[in-house]
Amino acid sequence: MSAKIDTALEVLQKQVNQPLVAALEVCARCGICTEACHYYQAEPVDEHMPSMRAEQLRQVYRSKYDWLGKLFPAWTNAWPLTEEKLAMLAEMAFTKCTLCARCTINCPMGVDTPLLMTAVRAMATATGNAPEILEMLADAAIEKGRDPSIYLDFYLDSIKEMEKELQELTGNPNARIPVQKKGAKKLYVALAGAHTILPAAAIFETVGEDWTLSIFEAANYGVFLGDASRAKAIARRIVDEAKALGVEEIVISECGHAYYAMRWVAPNWFGDEFTFRVTSLVEVIADYVQRGLLDLDPAANPEAITYHDSCNLGRKGGILEEPRLILRAVTTNFRELTPAKEEAYCCGGGAGLVANPDVVDLRMLAGKPKVDQVRRSGANIVVAACENCRLQLGDLSSHYGAGFGVTAIADLVVKAMRLPGAKQTVEASMTSSVNESETVERP
Amino acid sequence: MTTLDLKGLLCPMPIVKMAKAIKEIEVGQTLEAVATDPGVMADVPAWCRSTGHELVTLEKLDKQFHFVVRRAQ
Repeated sequence: MSAKIDTALEVLQKQVNQPLVAALEVCARCGICTEACHYYQAEPVDEHMPSMRAEQLRQVYRSKYDWLGKLFPAWTNAWPLTEEKLAMLAEMAFTKCTLCARCTINCPMGVDTPLLMTAVRAMATATGNAPEILEMLADAAIEKGRDPSIYLDFYLDSIKEMEKELQELTGNPNARIPVQKKGAKKLYVALAGAHTILPAAAIFETVGEDWTLSIFEAANYGVFLGDASRAKAIARRIVDEAKALGVEEIVISECGHAYYAMRWVAPNWFGDEFTFRVTSLVEVIADYVQRGLLDLDPAANPEAITYHDSCNLGRKGGILEEPRLILRAVTTNFRELTPAKEEAYCCGGGAGLVANPDVVDLRMLAGKPKVDQVRRSGANIVVAACENCRLQLGDLSSHYGAGFGVTAIADLVVKAMRLPGAKQTVEASMTSSVNESETVERP
Repeated sequence: MTTLDLKGLLCPMPIVKMAKAIKEIEVGQTLEAVATDPGVMADVPAWCRSTGHELVTLEKLDKQFHFVVRRAQ
């Protein structure tokens, strides 16, 4: 047995707990998961059956942990892990599953296929079988936390520039984007770039929120790698920042996996250190809308608009009603996709696929059910509260010639606020959200 | 020198494209790129630090961000 296989099995051993064993042991072979998977919907072949994917790891599990599998591997379909098998598992977990969990909620036994695929991703990452780009992005994020001085001056300069744009947008020459302000109530963690900072800043400024901006970005590529060490190091930057500033709440930008990781996973990593609430910007805006803090004109957004539920934010994160509450307040022609909410189809770009240039064809295929949904809805704008989804939806619109635009919730809110500079800002944001992750070809 | 057009791209695509493009040049050669997303001002220095590539220049000209990176091993 090679050192690589030893390492992979050690990583598997560390992850063998009750939830994982349950997911490995309880499959009833009913096949209901099959129709639930967007890959299978797009291309009905055996390899896209979630149960078939899970079986690949089960074979390895049986050969190591099941006494019958050890003695009679042929009877139990137990297969020892080899380097070829490991490479196949890695490719499957990183490209043929977006960890969307639609199969899980449709499974009568609740088999957690994303948990199984995350275990495989961890094995693959520990043995050098993960996509290099995801490791690069995770390591760059960790580097930012290790030594913010390598970019802080540039960052603060760009925030000053953004502050001028905010002043134009709001018509308020005193509008500010406070960075790392001690004692602020809310710490807003955006994504890299102005498009997730400026609209949020305009909303915070308008309601008079006591907020400050993080110097870190919310994205956590360690989560996609299944690498708890890297994922924790990336989250650690924000936790330490929140502690140092004494904030009450961390508000995560419109980003599905970043919210899920910080809201539902990070508290388990940090225990008593985690003394603050975590919310999504979507929840915060919904609260402002409900409290009547924003003067909104839905006629500002008269287009046929629909909402795509990010799997991490909706099905896995529980934020289902808040986006709809907001969209009904800021649009006049909102319509649902079918199915939606818990049963929404993944866009096909989640779990790091949208950042992997080697899988463009596959994610275009996996996004086909989503494009069909949008077409049936008649919407010409798709709203998504997740950056990965927006990039993927923009590529899908271009690839399939579907002609829909893609935007974020906060952009539509700002537009409905009828701020003096809103029109240009939102139009620029929408243009940049579409067709921009990779050069995609029409079929 | 190879010039990479990253204008209009949002995070993480500038780094994704850079990582791909830098593999296509020889060690010691430089890659010039231009982007419009201010996120590159933080992402590119951090990416260079974590990969070992040398960030030769990084500057803002008008509303664009120009940078030059020298490929390491």
